[in-house]
Amino acid sequence: MKEVKLFLGPQHPGMHGNYSAHMYVEGDIINKSYALPGMLHRGFEKLMERRHWMGNLALIPRICVIEPDPNEMVYAMSIEKLAAIEVPERAHWIRMIILELARLAANLMSIGGIGAPVGLYTSVYWGVADRDLILDIFEKITGARVYHMYIVPGGVRKDLPEGIEEEILDLLDYIEGRLPEFYDLVMRSPIFQTRTRDNILLPEEVVWELGVTGIGMRSAVNREYDIRKVKPYARYDQVEFSLPYGPYSDAFTRVDFKYIEMAQSISIIRQSIEKMPKDGPVRAKIATGSALRWQVPPGMVYSCVESARGEYGYLVVSDGGEMPYRIAVRGSSYPQGLMGVEKYLPGHRIDDASLWMDTMGVCAPEIDR
Amino acid sequence: MMKNKSMFSPLRAWKYLVKEPITIPMERIFDHPREASDNYRGFHVNDWDKCVGCGTCGEICPTNAITMLPIEGLRETDGHKPERPAIDYGRCSFCALCVDICTSDSLSMSKEYLHISKDADSFYFLPDARGMHQTAFDTAYSRDEVSELLDLERYEIQEIPHENRNLSFTELIKGYSREMALAEASRCVECGVCTYTCPAHMNIPEYIRSVWTEDLKEGAQWLYETNPLSNVCGRICTHKCETACVIGQRGEPVAIRWLKRYIVDNTPEGDFVEAATARVSRQVNGRVGIIGSGPAGLSCGYYLRTMGYEVDIYEEKELPGGVIRYGAPEYRLPEASVKADIDNIERAGVKFITSTKVGRDITLEQMKDKYDAVFSASGYWIPRKLKIDNVDHPGIRFSPHFLAEARDFTRGKGPMPEFHQDVIVIGGGDVSFDVARTLNRFQLMTNARAIVRFIARKPEEHLAASREEVVEAKEEGVIYHLDRSPTAVLVDDKGDIYGVEVAVCETVVDDRGRAKTVCSEEKEIIRGTEVYMAVGNDPDFVYFPEEMMEALTIENNKIAINEKGQVEGFEWLFAGGDIVRGPDIISAVADGHQAAVGIDEYLMNRKK
Amino acid sequence: MNSTNKLVEEIRQRFEIIDVIHPDDQQVILDIDKMHLHTLLSHLKADGFRQLSLLSAVDWIKDNIFELVYIVFNWDTGVHVLARVKLPRDNPRFRTITPIYPGAQYYERDVHEFFGIEFEGNPMSYKPLFLELWDEMPPMRKDFDPEAYSREKFPERVYVPHFVPKVEVIE
Repeated sequence: MKEVKLFLGPQHPGMHGNYSAHMYVEGDIINKSYALPGMLHRGFEKLMERRHWMGNLALIPRICVIEPDPNEMVYAMSIEKLAAIEVPERAHWIRMIILELARLAANLMSIGGIGAPVGLYTSVYWGVADRDLILDIFEKITGARVYHMYIVPGGVRKDLPEGIEEEILDLLDYIEGRLPEFYDLVMRSPIFQTRTRDNILLPEEVVWELGVTGIGMRSAVNREYDIRKVKPYARYDQVEFSLPYGPYSDAFTRVDFKYIEMAQSISIIRQSIEKMPKDGPVRAKIATGSALRWQVPPGMVYSCVESARGEYGYLVVSDGGEMPYRIAVRGSSYPQGLMGVEKYLPGHRIDDASLWMDTMGVCAPEIDR
Repeated sequence: MMKNKSMFSPLRAWKYLVKEPITIPMERIFDHPREASDNYRGFHVNDWDKCVGCGTCGEICPTNAITMLPIEGLRETDGHKPERPAIDYGRCSFCALCVDICTSDSLSMSKEYLHISKDADSFYFLPDARGMHQTAFDTAYSRDEVSELLDLERYEIQEIPHENRNLSFTELIKGYSREMALAEASRCVECGVCTYTCPAHMNIPEYIRSVWTEDLKEGAQWLYETNPLSNVCGRICTHKCETACVIGQRGEPVAIRWLKRYIVDNTPEGDFVEAATARVSRQVNGRVGIIGSGPAGLSCGYYLRTMGYEVDIYEEKELPGGVIRYGAPEYRLPEASVKADIDNIERAGVKFITSTKVGRDITLEQMKDKYDAVFSASGYWIPRKLKIDNVDHPGIRFSPHFLAEARDFTRGKGPMPEFHQDVIVIGGGDVSFDVARTLNRFQLMTNARAIVRFIARKPEEHLAASREEVVEAKEEGVIYHLDRSPTAVLVDDKGDIYGVEVAVCETVVDDRGRAKTVCSEEKEIIRGTEVYMAVGNDPDFVYFPEEMMEALTIENNKIAINEKGQVEGFEWLFAGGDIVRGPDIISAVADGHQAAVGIDEYLMNRKK
Repeated sequence: MNSTNKLVEEIRQRFEIIDVIHPDDQQVILDIDKMHLHTLLSHLKADGFRQLSLLSAVDWIKDNIFELVYIVFNWDTGVHVLARVKLPRDNPRFRTITPIYPGAQYYERDVHEFFGIEFEGNPMSYKPLFLELWDEMPPMRKDFDPEAYSREKFPERVYVPHFVPKVEVIE
């Protein structure tokens, strides 16, 4: 059969973001494939070197649209380490609530979005609609729906609005009730199971070879490898949660794990609301003077958190000035989105390519930066 | 959750077929848009009454979305620029950092979030209190103390311990340490509102930045740009700039004066001298004679030297400096600081002809013949006398002579002036406090006990003197008799003073905020054996020949000049300082600089 | 720092480490001569640092060097090691680490594209990745000025304020 060149993306319902895979197919089997990133390259790392430490806050959440908050968190953590700042206790808990809400929103988008590559659009609409309810909460807390700019160096930007705890708890109850409906709609669907069970396997060696993290890793290496567990930040060491892991990673397992993780996120938020101090400061000063002249002591530090897609990290270098000297972004899906597409997509069918993207959590903006 | 496949389980979703959709229908989006949350970062609103046009919002803006537009109809005033921020919504990222850093609390964001147009220009917008479409929307995101991005509190300056500080003339303020200076400098937002207010229009944001970047040599260069008396002004300037500082809108203004002082105190001497002399021109354009070596004369002389003129400054007293050498007491302005500034001016090539009084040792006509132009800044040296009984009694002493004697003593050039142990000071302004605190020190230096009684017509909060003088003098033990107006100096049969008779007064503030002092018939006697009067000075114009006196326009003891410092009717004569404007040193420095420019212009035009 | 002290001790016995910094409890920065980097990474990988989290570079233009930072992670102990090597800024080249960490392939390509550092032994790294038809110096170098570049390449949009400020003269 003749080999045909085929572009998946940049505009395609199965692709997440403006991102493309250049495939050579024979019939519907992929022979060779290359990742073609760059459609979303906005030069974030360069831009960050040219803005004040505080001004970058407007920039960093935009690196990942679905789950912007880990960006703010690693940025804040890095500065706090460099400047040796003690974050107020309440701020730690608020940050956890925000991060878990963001993870919940990202996972909702993902368990809904998985419908797109398998042709089950109802779940996409459900996912987006329910995520919007989380965005409502974000809007009330931070003033914005998607790019919150809320976790700031030293703490959080503002205290929680009054009564938001109850609203969050109500929403959690609602989402908890919705999860079985999602599950029935998507996961138990015979079509979905046929497409995903024993498909797009991720063997353990590949995990180590590429450097895949997150759910993909946990489902393959049979260990609870999660930054929140291995290297707890904020107050993750003071809440109880356990994450799913297993030795066999097919597309179905990876999506299945997301449901379990969502239940865990809900539990973490509930515990946080219960355990966090009811009042107290939420922000520490990171330097003297006006924000135009904040300086961070010179040094280099790497900070990472567990995003919905795995280890998300910033390497931050300061030369003591009013702007960062260099920031390098480790997007969680960088390994699977670039090298994974090139090395492990071949052999699969065309229509499974977008399942790869989806279940591996490939997020184009964080790869391009 | 069961993981087994089931053909029927997806069908459960069918129950939503009969439910209302949760999406907002298109036709409702414009008529009934969803209301944003109370914290929403929507379009900007800017309260023009509060906005001071400082442009800090534009500085912090990470997307360069904010431009400051000059607004016709607004006037530049102290602490207020006639500009307002315009926002380009093609760039704005709705981060609200502008709101968090707004110095005047005028910016906030509203719940309004819809604007649709095919015209890209309509996304460029000048917000006011009415919002993007001139329809009222609730205010949403606004700054609170947590999201604050300014540093509102001053960093403390080191002072000598309060106890026993009045036992000597040691300078009260020690100055900023490096850390504190950097911290204080970091509070500045570089808006430059202060520059307008400073009479000399000093490059304040620039030199604060030099402190911040620790390039003090550059800082010294900035100082000499507009002021050759930075040592002096870094200590006793009236710092009008600080009242204009936009940080003062919500907090304590940046300690501009102390930062200037930090530069002069910490720049290596060589760098400081170089900053002063590097700009001096070698070419000779003409000769200028200056009457009086006070701040105005020094400033004029220095800037004329930088333009290449030969300058002679005539000084009646033994040392040049005028009020800075014979006025302010040592504990506020040490001799070394005065000397540093004046030495630099001398290094710049200005020639001082001291102990030479114009009108006595040389006439104004002789000066006119000798020089291409003359700048007069003879100052106010004739003490004013209150119109009360026995005011001509020889036991009454006046501030200019007493302070000059005191300065001569503290610099080791003269004996300690004579004084009684139980004295009365009449005044209310800074100078009267200088007299009282100097007397207090003298008394304690020679005796264990000090009695200085201080009489003023006004209550504490209405005194003309600066706040710290009033507080510190009280701490040092000066006894206040406020709300008292002297009516007579009391003299006994032997001809000795035994007190001052005063009327009890009351100061009332009317509805418009104007204070008015009314004195009653009720009299009191305040006892003391010597009276010091510090109620202001007058100029001495004796050096003007009679026919000139008639031609001059003098109103309220001030000579009329044009905007170049030129005396009306006498194009070769320029004037500045107290005799044309007053009231403080920095204004005199400004006058001197302005006259130097005026003289240069006049002489250049004359050559052509 | 305790959990990393033993690790550092062990590494010091085997390798010549120029400098050790502890940015936090579970993080160590090791400055090492570029001669020894590959053996260090092999050692670390065998020692549990199975994941390459990030490979990036810093342009220290004043010192005229590039600094490569290799961040490896041990999932069992939660320790990140940041191994740093310095390269001359003129004609920067280094050996690839893809035989040790195959996942480095794209990171090296990334660094090559944005800093112009060549990785011998990784032919893929010479191919462009994000920047299509790039015609300037590698953009993450400190001497690249993005503003000047965009002024040169793209037209400036001038906005005409078509609102007329309605201001009454304030006296």
